Amino acid sequence: MKLRYLSVLAAAVLAFPALAAAPAPGIPPRPEQLVFPPFKFEVPKADPFKFKLANGATAYVSEDHSLPLVNISITFKVGAFLEPVEKVGLAGFTGALMRKGGAGARTAEDFDERADFLAAAVYAGIGDTSASVSLNALTFSLNPSLDLLFDMLTAPRFQQDRLDIEKGSTIEGLKQRNDSPQSIAGREWQWLLNGSKHFSSRPLTKTNVEKISREDLITFHKRFLRPENIVTLAISGDVNTKEILAELNRRFAAWKPDGKAEPIAWPPPAPDFQIKPGVYHVEKDINQGNVMIGHLTTTWKNPDHYALVLMNHILGSGGFTSRITKKIRSDEGLAYSAGSSFGLGTWWPGVFRAGFQTKSATVAFGAKLALAEIRRIQEQPVTDDELQVAKNAMIESFPRAWESKAAIVGTFAADDLVGRSHSYWEEYQKNLAKVTVADIQRVAKQYLKPDQVVFLVVGKWSEIEPGDPEKRANMKEFFGGQVTHLPVRDPLSLEPLP
Amino acid sequence: MPWKYPKGLSLLLALASAVLVLAPAQAQTPEVTAKVAVEKFELDNGMKFLLVKKPELSTVTAGWVAHVGSSNERPGITGLTHLFEHMMFKGTKTIGTKNITRDLQIIDEQEKLQEQIREIYEEQRARWRRGEIADPFAPAGRTPEQLELEKKFQALVDEQRSLMIKDEFSKQYTQAGGTGLNAFTNQDMTVYFISVPANKVELWFWLEADRLANLVLREFYSERDVVTEERRLRTESTPTGRQDEQFEAMFWNSHPYKWPVIGWPSDLKVISKAQAEDYYNTFYSPNNVTAVLVGNFDPAQVKSLAQKYFGSIPRGRKAPPPVVTLELPQVAEKRLKAECDCQPEVEVRYHTVGFGHKDSFAMDLLGALLSGRTGRLTKSLVNEKKIATHAGAGAEAQKWAGYFSFDAEPKGDATPEQLEQAWYGELKKVIDEPIPAEELQKIKNQIAGAAYRKLVSPFGLLVQLLISDGLGDWEAVNTDTARLLAVTADDIKRVAKTYLTPENRAVKVFTRRAGTAADPLAQDLAGIPDEMRPMIQAQLTKIKGLTDQAKIEQSLAQIAAGKGQAPADQKPVIELMEKALKARLAELKAAPPAQGGQH
Repeated sequence: MKLRYLSVLAAAVLAFPALAAAPAPGIPPRPEQLVFPPFKFEVPKADPFKFKLANGATAYVSEDHSLPLVNISITFKVGAFLEPVEKVGLAGFTGALMRKGGAGARTAEDFDERADFLAAAVYAGIGDTSASVSLNALTFSLNPSLDLLFDMLTAPRFQQDRLDIEKGSTIEGLKQRNDSPQSIAGREWQWLLNGSKHFSSRPLTKTNVEKISREDLITFHKRFLRPENIVTLAISGDVNTKEILAELNRRFAAWKPDGKAEPIAWPPPAPDFQIKPGVYHVEKDINQGNVMIGHLTTTWKNPDHYALVLMNHILGSGGFTSRITKKIRSDEGLAYSAGSSFGLGTWWPGVFRAGFQTKSATVAFGAKLALAEIRRIQEQPVTDDELQVAKNAMIESFPRAWESKAAIVGTFAADDLVGRSHSYWEEYQKNLAKVTVADIQRVAKQYLKPDQVVFLVVGKWSEIEPGDPEKRANMKEFFGGQVTHLPVRDPLSLEPLP
Repeated sequence: MPWKYPKGLSLLLALASAVLVLAPAQAQTPEVTAKVAVEKFELDNGMKFLLVKKPELSTVTAGWVAHVGSSNERPGITGLTHLFEHMMFKGTKTIGTKNITRDLQIIDEQEKLQEQIREIYEEQRARWRRGEIADPFAPAGRTPEQLELEKKFQALVDEQRSLMIKDEFSKQYTQAGGTGLNAFTNQDMTVYFISVPANKVELWFWLEADRLANLVLREFYSERDVVTEERRLRTESTPTGRQDEQFEAMFWNSHPYKWPVIGWPSDLKVISKAQAEDYYNTFYSPNNVTAVLVGNFDPAQVKSLAQKYFGSIPRGRKAPPPVVTLELPQVAEKRLKAECDCQPEVEVRYHTVGFGHKDSFAMDLLGALLSGRTGRLTKSLVNEKKIATHAGAGAEAQKWAGYFSFDAEPKGDATPEQLEQAWYGELKKVIDEPIPAEELQKIKNQIAGAAYRKLVSPFGLLVQLLISDGLGDWEAVNTDTARLLAVTADDIKRVAKTYLTPENRAVKVFTRRAGTAADPLAQDLAGIPDEMRPMIQAQLTKIKGLTDQAKIEQSLAQIAAGKGQAPADQKPVIELMEKALKARLAELKAAPPAQGGQH
């Protein structure tokens, strides 16, 4: 019944619906007519998984004996926000070198060989607002693998030659910062939205990297990677709860709070920056423009966030069912990827961003379409059907996030870090279900600001500015034709290039 | 699922059991391997099903592989397999339109117009061959006739849109809580997948059987434009996309792996809907498809749903043709040198063996020996010699042919050529010197660990089964580990010696294009007060444009004479100018004469 019969010559016959495939017996003609059995889902309660270690830290443990694998992750309220301003990059280097610089009685070489021989994945990393060490080990070698994890956490050696190698590779990485348009756009976008002074967006430069010394790492580790700063442990896999807790208590007994921990200001400080709406451009000789359009939003603590995520699902994050994707990709064929994201900040406002990549000549037309969709969702109510699709998508797929034991304890551990009650999840589906068409329009009006956007484009301006040959749009249409040409920056120093 | 221990863990177990406190009883369990329990069945029309039951999940992750990839194409229709993958999301006779009768009429009218446009392109190509136009496809070079045809076409598109239910296929899944709807195409296969709530598995059968049997090539031409944008995004505007594409085209002598999956741009411009239909009829028959379901379902119910929904789709009229062109053995080294806005890089690639070949397992172990944090290349090139930021090697066994490649990025002043030579040194060591037993055991322990880890994610398992089936044998998912663990040190040395020979290699060297490197002067500029920077930058730009060596030397002499008297606060500026002039002078002196600078 396939397209075998379909050709230009045979077109006439196709007018007869009789030739359309008749469904086999028992198959309903439309998928809406399918009847599904009910599916019972309850969000797991945190209590059965929650335990206290002797040192006061909370541990979430979930047993799963289907495979001989164990996951252990320890999270700290430590991050780049604790770096001194003149030591940008210190937190990241400390995390990397905890893993790479040897630990306990082992040199870096021995440590790596041992981990690989045990087939254990040992990890340490320090991000902007949290740090974690973790282990994925085979049950048979859990104990020797735990030796590595605890040595790395409590007695890292920060071997000088490994620090030098890490610094060298980092600098080689910095050299590539102008190679891809996405990398340029990502960097400038951060600065346009949050400035370049905040710890989350301040630039890592060659000079910063060179300034970091082994002593700095030792000091940062000693000051902050302490048992007092543990937020939670998340443990899942082939363990017996009682036994693993006893084992961890035994190991933590040798690494106790010593009363010398300095207080950490929590939560981390928010950026202090005023965005300046307008068109911004960075020159890059490529045949496609990379476009980002957006502004700041709010945090997940705002009760409007349920309506906001549904609004954005309809606007641009729901894949092919969302408006921006449909318009720019599917209707006009202007871009391979087009859509929007509505970021909800944890402690300070997140970022709303509509984005796409399209050939230089249609950058302006694509932007015009995206902005028109933003205005349309403010000016006209969405349809009941659109809201229902968005709600179903989020409500029906929610159980999937709780499928694995590692995901369950990981979610509870993350709740503790950001100060979210576990009951948030129990109410999540209900809160989404309550959102109305009027709510969507209200939050779209209140939180979307199409006239006050930062509009960043990376690409070849001489081909972007005039717009498309069909004259559907050109760059003069935005902000009265005003544009700020941002400099191309030296990739190592991020200073403007002459 | 009953799992047992692979052989490779024996030494590991011996080591670990001394300190094991958590699972002492298990340490006595005898060997064998981690296996995934797969239930298999086949419909009368030849469509195969693989089921992996996971009752603890709340979803079913499902997908299917069509045994067709870009290697089944030919010049003229390159990119069609991938474009077709996009078309599979555009709807059917039931999904995506309010009026199928008129929709199909419009599609045929559109096709007639496109046929005329293709004829114009044929003329344009002829004009291009005669040198009359620079680009046969330039939008600005369209003839009035073509613009008129495009206008008519657009009117049909507008009418069609008024009848369409836009992206309804995707909507059906989204509103049911489906997640991760996507697909991929490579040289050997096309794979479609999605995850649905466990109670809605029948929706998957409805929608997938419908698109396999009743597809309508709706919006074919706008989707062709989307793919052209995808090509710009992935190939043309990436740092090394075009150069990598050229390396692939150079590496393969005769094999259809030569052309890119996304297709040559000139083919994409003229691929027709009729060609797509022909492709669909040839390769999208149930006998050329394998479906895989992983998750929480009742296998008996799934079997009856499979029969009900897919059972009535007829088997293809003739079997899809296999790829018959064999790669012509390489007789001389090939070398590609490219400049790009990219980090310098070297790759040395050798023709080896394809999927399932008896030597493919030893090739994999050779890759493991050389790669990773404690692999030989990292230890030697990154940690000891400190000439690379990254160095690795690995085997790629595709369905019809395979290769082994070394790749590395230099650090600091090291050159790609230095890394290439270091590679030949490491290769010689593998061939000439014994491989220590402990080193081999380390690799095998990691293979054993990976055998469990690859079973963790339901989606990962689905994709492994689909890919293995696409390559020719899904059971490789269960048999590979044992075959990898059986490889000996001698096997590794033998394959290295047999395949990794100079006349069998292709070398790719990337260097950074002049002018895109980090500017050493920018560091100094950081020390200049803000208000002076624009002026200084203007000066530096001027200096970069100077061509008269004598004039530069004269300026330098003046600076040297006057420097002593300059006020202290101006010294950094003067020194920066001096440095810039010296750098420019060195550049001019090093530059080859105007006639000899071609690459």
